[in-house]
Amino acid sequence: MHAEPTVAPPVAAPVRAERFPGTVVARLSARRAARSGAVWGLIFGLSIASSEVSYTRIYTTQAERDALAAAYGSNKATSALFGPAPQLQTVGGFTVFKISMTLMILGAVWGLLTSTRLLRGEEDSGRWDLLLTGLTTRRGATAQALAGLGAGAGTLWLLTAVVSVLSGRGSKVGIAAGPSLYLALAVVTTAVMFLAVGALTSQLAETRRQAASYAAVFLGVSYALRMIADAGVGLHALIWASPLGWVEELQPITAPQPLALLPIIALTAVLAAVAVHLAGIRDVGAGIVADRSHSHRHLALLSGPTGLAIRLLRATVIAWWVAIAAAALLYGLIARSAGATISGSSVREVFAKLGAPGTGADAVLGVCFLVLAVLVAFVGAGQITAARAEESGGRLDHMLVRPVSRASWLSGRLLVAVIVLLLSSVGAGVFAWLGAASQHSSVGFTTLLGAGVNLVPPAIAILGIGVLAFGIRPRTTSVVVYGLLGWSLLVVIIGGIGATNHWVLDTSVFHHMASAPAAPPEWEANGIMTGIGVASALVGGLAFWRRDLQGE
Amino acid sequence: MATAIRTEGLTKRYGDVVALDHLDLEVARGEVVGYLGPNGAGKTTTIRLLLGLSRPTEGRGEVFGLDCQLQPVEVHRRLAFVPGEANLWPSLTGGETLALLGRVHGHVDEAYRDELIDRFDLDPTKKVRAYSMGNRQKVILVAALMVRPDLLVLDEPTNGLDPLMEQAFRHCIGEARGRGQTVFLSSHVLSEVEALCDRVGILREGRLVEIGTLAEMRHLSALSVEATFDSAVPDLSGVPGVSSVETNGRVVRCQVRGSIQPLLRALADADVTELVSREPSLEELFLALYGEDGHAR
Repeated sequence: MHAEPTVAPPVAAPVRAERFPGTVVARLSARRAARSGAVWGLIFGLSIASSEVSYTRIYTTQAERDALAAAYGSNKATSALFGPAPQLQTVGGFTVFKISMTLMILGAVWGLLTSTRLLRGEEDSGRWDLLLTGLTTRRGATAQALAGLGAGAGTLWLLTAVVSVLSGRGSKVGIAAGPSLYLALAVVTTAVMFLAVGALTSQLAETRRQAASYAAVFLGVSYALRMIADAGVGLHALIWASPLGWVEELQPITAPQPLALLPIIALTAVLAAVAVHLAGIRDVGAGIVADRSHSHRHLALLSGPTGLAIRLLRATVIAWWVAIAAAALLYGLIARSAGATISGSSVREVFAKLGAPGTGADAVLGVCFLVLAVLVAFVGAGQITAARAEESGGRLDHMLVRPVSRASWLSGRLLVAVIVLLLSSVGAGVFAWLGAASQHSSVGFTTLLGAGVNLVPPAIAILGIGVLAFGIRPRTTSVVVYGLLGWSLLVVIIGGIGATNHWVLDTSVFHHMASAPAAPPEWEANGIMTGIGVASALVGGLAFWRRDLQGE
Repeated sequence: MATAIRTEGLTKRYGDVVALDHLDLEVARGEVVGYLGPNGAGKTTTIRLLLGLSRPTEGRGEVFGLDCQLQPVEVHRRLAFVPGEANLWPSLTGGETLALLGRVHGHVDEAYRDELIDRFDLDPTKKVRAYSMGNRQKVILVAALMVRPDLLVLDEPTNGLDPLMEQAFRHCIGEARGRGQTVFLSSHVLSEVEALCDRVGILREGRLVEIGTLAEMRHLSALSVEATFDSAVPDLSGVPGVSSVETNGRVVRCQVRGSIQPLLRALADADVTELVSREPSLEELFLALYGEDGHAR
């Protein structure tokens, strides 16, 4: 009745032997880290190139460059935010001042997210268990993953270096290959340190989110220490207490100080070694810091799918709000002193070319609010990818097999998302005003509130297009929203260089936003952006209603 | 008798792959129906179509006379579903999950819920992240049973449960039957289906190849016969209706389809010391349908 399974004859089949079975984990991590390292390396390189090229186009005469150096060279507010600016009369000095702090922070964020994803994230998903059943040990696998992450960092540096060397060769820029390579190295060192920080927190925490939060706290403290050190209040020695301070002390282009690489290398090596050690003494799946496995019942929000969404998203949203409020407050604080240096000088023209007409604090805030717009758009993107994660993780099934319609589930989530975006934007305006008012700046409350609300339409457009992707090709949701966001940002950065095809510029959700408060919000353009978002969301919602639920 | 589930030509294709091919199925109210088939036969596809989680390519399905695609909310008010894989929210505790799912459903028999938590030995203060796979499965089982739905749709519900808990599960399904609830149980634990189900449907490559009570299905299948001989073992392979002859020393096992008369005549001349015949188990029925050459009869 039941046939015995026939035993396959021992044919000498051409089995493809794995040549280095002991390096599977390293290669797997390297492949994934290098992929995102390449993308970010390109963005880093292009940022450096864009800054160099735009400087040579905007500041064409020595007089203009000297005026810029005189204006910002000793400004303590900008020094606290972006680091000191010793040589603004040169292309290199300006570039280091303008982008290195931003790239350092982006690099740190990339580092901590990548390493927590490839270490703790893999463990969370259970894939790590499978890898550990192969020819490796817990320590060996962690060390291999770290080597893979190192390859990712190498890719990041390579792409950054290639683009910045090419840009430096431009006749007007004129930065030699050596200093360009060193600049690329300097901006990538934070990424390397935070890969190691993420590796350590991945051993400490029990979930990926927790591991990333621990690393983010470390980044926040580093930034705050460096800020105090650069604020000109006589505590400059604190710079050596902050990893970001060490990177600043590398002083690429202006006054290279390679000795500052020593603490960077030491910290990275120690963190990596400790991470590998800890990987060997803990259980797979568990953290050194035990997560609370029991909890009292908190039922307040658990009344339905929308309440559940609020409960699941609140920690992330509050973290974003704190970041947005802190950034807005800082921008408000520096606006007056930074603005005073540009009013009445030739720099005013320069700011107008950068898209922030007017004088004083308004102009500075106009540029700063673009950064806030990007942060708010990130919040919007996160809302729709979180909805998709509920579906791909199979958790949405539990709602939709109960008396909950797809329409009410999705509209509830979108309502929450829109409220979150509105509060983020209004908060940005209010906190910028608080900062500005404390410095007796002349920018009014309603102006800044308007500038805050002006941040909503690009985020609504991102959210709506995300819903469209979610409805039609759910597996592409995250690629579409973050791709659109990254592209929009890139277009704005490249657009700063000068003449670009308006068809390209039009594809950026940030291009259509007036740079309030430097210019009044353009409500018609805002209406169109919002309309695009709403229409996309409606089409996406309809497509979602018609399709099958889909897993990963 | 009123129907709980009815499908008419229900079909699902994914590109060129036919996951479910014109399924016509009827489950009466109060029935406990088992739904069997190997991996990829279309069991889960059927259930997801009935639940409105997937959209049919052709045909339609009804639950208590309500269209599964057009009136999902009304359908879901009357049923509860247990998937084979418990993907829950890791940050909620088991108790919070039950409270949430209960509120979403609307009405919960709280006394029964507490009894179920006891019976399944579940610690509701523990976070889902800290539960083992079996404990997560218990959470969704309790969540489905506690609302006392008219229809229970179960897709390999005992995945990861230990034998004691599986016993508790069988007890609960017995109670549900006693209360007149309808149960649609997709499973590949054949003993579970054999113990619980009034009728069994067998699915193969998206087609329903067999449906009926176990007794009906046994008639379709072979009888197992084992004979022990005192002396020489006769050659039974040529006897009409006899197949799968296995000889082990003086013991011969074989399958008999149709009339047993030819075999009895063949044995009459031999020196039989012991003769045992037995109806096929569900497992044997199942293997008969799928086994050997891998094609349905």
